[in-house]
Amino acid sequence: PGEGPVLTVYSLQPVPKACTSVPVLQQHRIHGTRSRVSTTISRPNSSTLQPNSYDLAVFGGKTVRLVRLHLDVSAVKLAHLEISRPPVELQDWILDIRWLREDKQSLLCVAVAHNGALLLDISSGNALAHCSCLEGCLLYSALLVVHKSWADTVLIGGTVFNQLVLWKPGGEASHNRAPVERRLLGHTGVIFSISYLQEKGWLASASDDRSVRVWAIGALGGCGGNCGDLKPTCLRVLFGHQARVFSVCLSPRRVFSAGEDGACLIWDGAGGGTVLRALKGHRAGGIRALAVSPGRDDTGRWVATGGADGGVRLWKVEDDEEEDTVTKTITDLEFSGRGVPKVVCVVEGEAHNTKWSQCRILVCTDQGFVYQYGNGHWELLWRGSPEFQSYCVMETVAVRLKDSISKANLCAVGSLSGVLKVFPISHPQNEIALQSCSGKIHSLIWQQCDQYVYLLASAAEGQVYRWCIDVRFNEMGTVSLRVKCCPAFVLPTCSKRWLTAAVRLPSKSKGALWVCGDRRGSLLLFQEDLDRRGEEEATDCMQANIKGHETDGALQEKEIPEEHKDLTLSPLSCLFGVHGKQGVTSVCEYQGLLYSTGRDGCVRIFRVGEGPLQLEVLRVQRACKGMEWLERSLIESPGDDKKGSTIENKGTEARFVIFGFHASQFVVWDPVKLERLLAVPCGGGHRSWSFWPVHTGVWPGYGALVFIKQGSVLASERPLESTSVSARTWNEGWSLREGIHGRGIGCVCRLGRIWVPNDSTANRAETPGPVRVQIEGQWEIIVTGGEDTSLTVLAVHPNSGSVTVLSIITDHISSVRTVVALTHQDRLKLTSQSQSLSALVISASGRAQLQCYRLQIGWNKRRLAPFCQVVQVAGHRLDEHWERKRNRHKMVKMDPETRYMSMAVVDDNSDAVLVALACSDGAVRLFSVSEVKRQIHLLWETFYHQRCVLSVATCSLKAGKGHRYVLLFSAATDGKIAVWDLTQAASGSSCDAPTPPNPCLSIAAHQSGVNSLAVWPHTQGPLDGGCLVTVSSGGDDGQLMVSTIRVDFLEDRLRTVGVTQDQPQSHLGLHLLSQLSFPSAHAAPVTALKLLRPGLIVTASCDQRVCLWELCSTSINHRGVLCSHVADAAGLAVWEEPVVEDGRTADLGQTLYEYNLYDYYY
Amino acid sequence: MGRSSKDKRDIYYRLAKEEGWRARSAFKLLQLDEEFSLFTGVNRAVDLCAAPGSWSQVLSRKLRGHGEKCEGGEEVKIVAVDLQAMAPLPGVTQIQGDITKVSTAEEIVRHFEGQPADLVVCDGAPDVTGLHDVDEYIQAQLLLAALNITTHVLKPGGTFVAKIFRGKDVTLLYSQLKIFFGGVTCAKPRSSRNSSIEAFVVCQNYHPPEGYVPNMSNPLLDHSYDVDFNQLEGPNRIIVPFLACGDLSAFDSDRTYPLQLDAGKEYQYTPPTQPPISPPYQQACHLRKNNLLSKEDSPSSLGPRQSGDQAQAD
Repeated sequence: PGEGPVLTVYSLQPVPKACTSVPVLQQHRIHGTRSRVSTTISRPNSSTLQPNSYDLAVFGGKTVRLVRLHLDVSAVKLAHLEISRPPVELQDWILDIRWLREDKQSLLCVAVAHNGALLLDISSGNALAHCSCLEGCLLYSALLVVHKSWADTVLIGGTVFNQLVLWKPGGEASHNRAPVERRLLGHTGVIFSISYLQEKGWLASASDDRSVRVWAIGALGGCGGNCGDLKPTCLRVLFGHQARVFSVCLSPRRVFSAGEDGACLIWDGAGGGTVLRALKGHRAGGIRALAVSPGRDDTGRWVATGGADGGVRLWKVEDDEEEDTVTKTITDLEFSGRGVPKVVCVVEGEAHNTKWSQCRILVCTDQGFVYQYGNGHWELLWRGSPEFQSYCVMETVAVRLKDSISKANLCAVGSLSGVLKVFPISHPQNEIALQSCSGKIHSLIWQQCDQYVYLLASAAEGQVYRWCIDVRFNEMGTVSLRVKCCPAFVLPTCSKRWLTAAVRLPSKSKGALWVCGDRRGSLLLFQEDLDRRGEEEATDCMQANIKGHETDGALQEKEIPEEHKDLTLSPLSCLFGVHGKQGVTSVCEYQGLLYSTGRDGCVRIFRVGEGPLQLEVLRVQRACKGMEWLERSLIESPGDDKKGSTIENKGTEARFVIFGFHASQFVVWDPVKLERLLAVPCGGGHRSWSFWPVHTGVWPGYGALVFIKQGSVLASERPLESTSVSARTWNEGWSLREGIHGRGIGCVCRLGRIWVPNDSTANRAETPGPVRVQIEGQWEIIVTGGEDTSLTVLAVHPNSGSVTVLSIITDHISSVRTVVALTHQDRLKLTSQSQSLSALVISASGRAQLQCYRLQIGWNKRRLAPFCQVVQVAGHRLDEHWERKRNRHKMVKMDPETRYMSMAVVDDNSDAVLVALACSDGAVRLFSVSEVKRQIHLLWETFYHQRCVLSVATCSLKAGKGHRYVLLFSAATDGKIAVWDLTQAASGSSCDAPTPPNPCLSIAAHQSGVNSLAVWPHTQGPLDGGCLVTVSSGGDDGQLMVSTIRVDFLEDRLRTVGVTQDQPQSHLGLHLLSQLSFPSAHAAPVTALKLLRPGLIVTASCDQRVCLWELCSTSINHRGVLCSHVADAAGLAVWEEPVVEDGRTADLGQTLYEYNLYDYYY
Repeated sequence: MGRSSKDKRDIYYRLAKEEGWRARSAFKLLQLDEEFSLFTGVNRAVDLCAAPGSWSQVLSRKLRGHGEKCEGGEEVKIVAVDLQAMAPLPGVTQIQGDITKVSTAEEIVRHFEGQPADLVVCDGAPDVTGLHDVDEYIQAQLLLAALNITTHVLKPGGTFVAKIFRGKDVTLLYSQLKIFFGGVTCAKPRSSRNSSIEAFVVCQNYHPPEGYVPNMSNPLLDHSYDVDFNQLEGPNRIIVPFLACGDLSAFDSDRTYPLQLDAGKEYQYTPPTQPPISPPYQQACHLRKNNLLSKEDSPSSLGPRQSGDQAQAD
């Protein structure tokens, strides 16, 4: 596939992976490639010929280029791309290209946008024949049906008038003008893609009107140049896409279509025209490209999709497949016991890693009976006393026994009146009763720690009773339980005051900690022992228990130390209601971090603070849109994960998946790949469900759901099937290349680089995989913000060109337009080779929203990849007061919907960072962002511009005697730049008196909007109490303007004269000295302008040029230009390579990375 | 809230509704006129790709603002050409036709009783694909098609105004326009957003090259880069003067305004002057609204049968 101007070859066997890539077209995007076998060699062990090289015709825009692909037959993984000839430029836009079959010459049939076709000799670049259609309109798409000769070729074009026209470019037309042979009407939008299936005589078209149409056209091309049936009919109109359909492919039994809604639909082509499967996995923005491999009986087909997000995904599709493999079918376990099932739990067998078929399922009914399912049968396990009727809670746990490899399963059952029973599932008659609860038991939670297991019962009035249970085998081979009562937790006073989640953190220094979640949405921290004395006491108590066991040999016993009965524990730290009123659903711990889920659609990643014992939320991760009911998060196990792996990444976030309910389905969601890993059509939010494998905390990539629906016990897998790791892979589709942003990228910011020394890759010899991926050297870390409202942290490896998505942050609710980063790396030497990087990132978006994050980037030695830990520092919205209003849906919000356009860091020396924001409502706003206090404050705003402010920039001036002045520059759509003295704000003194200053100077620079600013002071040092500042600006008018300002330090002068300095106004005198302009620097709006170093600037524009300019005192010199393929460059990040090489990309050896922005409106 | 949010997002959208224009683009032509006095002495005007008709509205109001006749006593004639039908406008003759056809040019001239036009305007934009290189190309082709038909109908010395996307090969378009016109300016009205690559070429003083014969049978192809004439890179590119037009005190199309624009006047929602006429996605939206789109979850539901679609042989 082509990605921009770069062609990449991926090998699909044995593991899909990128092989090799090469840039083919310089300023054009690749729109298509067509291959043919170039040479063949015979296989060693067979008589068949095996192709070992292919000719690829690669085209995009008006350019076509020949690329040869060499394959090493002995090892399929080794491929090599060779470019020998320069590209061939045509007069017209290329829509389709086909090789003329059985032709040893390099002849290509080309269809072009003005409804013309030509026969091109690619080796010479000469057109041998040319023909246009009499219908001379513009085409949006075209398909050439080419057989042996040019004369037989048929062209089908999708016209600007929503029609399909069919004509013969090689026919005997007069004056190279051919008439339309067939015309297909029906689409109500333009046609984006056409596909033809020879063996059925079908034609398919995909359109702007969101439909795919299949036409019975008959035989096309071939000897004599058939034009198909005289009256072709429309077989089927397929409406299923939610947006425009960009691409369509036909296979004998299926229709594949892909569109702007990001889905690839597989239709039953021959039958009723139903959707058999939907392949989803691209980020917002849709699928642009689609390829379907010719099917072979044994292997099925490959489907490859290319998204607007820049991602390439691969899917395996069986031709006879009738159903979606992700969406599971449901099996009824045919519950046959008395009463209606209320609670269900999956119980694993005694052995480690139980298979699904060996699992048992426990169900508690409204009669208070517990039934067990195993081997296809239900049996009554435990009969509850009458108080368990009509209301009953049940929870099970698998306990690894001390001194034994086997496990024991315990079941706890609680009643409305506070009666609580615990029994081993293997010996239900050995039940013990735990009393001391008062009132209804809302929930039961098991927690295994070391050799003990804890049971928590949440009863009335926020009382959470706790027991520590010691489970052992006794001499008779049965399970014995010893119970110790622990002090109860008391939940904060609120409605719905019961516990929903708990996890115990063993901590030697501080005593054990419990992190809990409640139904009110609060996260709570409890400390088990208030002081040392209590801890010792507990240990004594436990020993007494064990001693008692040895002497009397009783099956069970319970001991409730009297002194604990009245002792209760209150939370040390409480994040009240963080998960919203629908409550917390789970809390788990992994490598030092805690992950909680709630029915607010959020996963919160948090930790217990290192100073005072309190909970700190690091960041919030949302699941997909509409998925509000989250149940659990599970750590995603990497494929090569081994037990006992290094814990060097303790405290850093792991990849996780989210379990929850989305509409009528139970879904396992991957928040990084943004795809559904599993979907069970269970009907929606269930109070009781259970998942196998049980309580591992790690998602193995497969599983089965058991749930209760309308009195039936249902399972997503047939219970006798031995689903296991080897049985099937659930992960649908491979991501050959990760998507970056769904829609356009609005801003880009480079954080810095990390170095990977060669020795850290020494153990790579062990890692399987035929393709050696180069990972040594530097990785550039980049943050991008997009129209899809997300921030993406990327690691770019310039040596290999590979891009890895490290993190996706989804807190913004509108398009992210500007992002700044504060790192202290640049204060060190550029050549320092650090393996980690820390940055404070501030991003701003539409809907007047600011977010601040601390990013820690490092190298994960186990996964051999960079990682990124995101800590959410603070967030701010200008209209927070409006969001908090009740009944706001009934009112009309009169305030403007402000977008933040640009941001600049004013100061970061004090404990708060000051940032200035350009706002669309005409204001310049100054905010202080405090990482310590985790707060963002608006300091002041000024509506001086009265127009949309487009850009801001700052400049810090060093005067004599250690004085420092800070200037802010802001520019608006009227082409004027205002200069502000922010010295006082930066020194922190004006925080108490937040009055905005008046501008010191206003400069007219452009005719229309100023899109980008770069400012720097002259380094020649302060000359008699002042200095020169250069302001360079790029405008919508295509102009590059350089204004020089003289700044006088009045304060210094006043002081030398001896005047007291308590004057309220600015201590700076500013004068515009000179202006230099380059009126037609670009033919289109200058969208980005960045300072490489003083005097050297880089501009980017919609005219697809990136220019390098050198500024002297008297002139602006054009130093270099780079033609890019990005039609809509908007953001630019530039940096200089430490080693300056001559003759690289631009003149001076800096590498430019640019990203596109799709933000124009028509 | 839903209705007013678009009013808030786009001040010119709101103003257009309040002033009775069919689209916000009316302000663009008005602001271009402020700068270039496009309508002075104009009796015969053509609006290409006219739907929904806002530029025709401007032409109508401006050219015949104070009665049917202008000073010269000549009758004002306005012709609007578009492929799709649009709601009728008083004083504007509509031609439903293709601008790449000679017959359309002939029909325009017929309406002017054999006289050439004084002014041709074109605010047409293609159906966007979302691929910006493709969209810019198609817009360029639309402009060239408009230029081609203009050469059939415009009087020497006449004016041509058209929408242009300032993209990669815009300099090629400039060089092509300069062959036909004495003065070519790239103008950006203040009502056109800063964030949009859209601009307008104002081509004045039409004088085709010696011996030029208008020809509709071949499309005008875009120029290619030439080492001497118009370079791909470097400073020797043809770049025409840029002019931002419209009063700076006018509303800013990029600014987000509160709904209450001035203290004395209560905000009131105004419905659109002209709702869109049958968009391509009409049927798909109707099916979605009635839950009739094919879905994988409901394999039993049959895809909608085709209705009213037909194929015909030519």
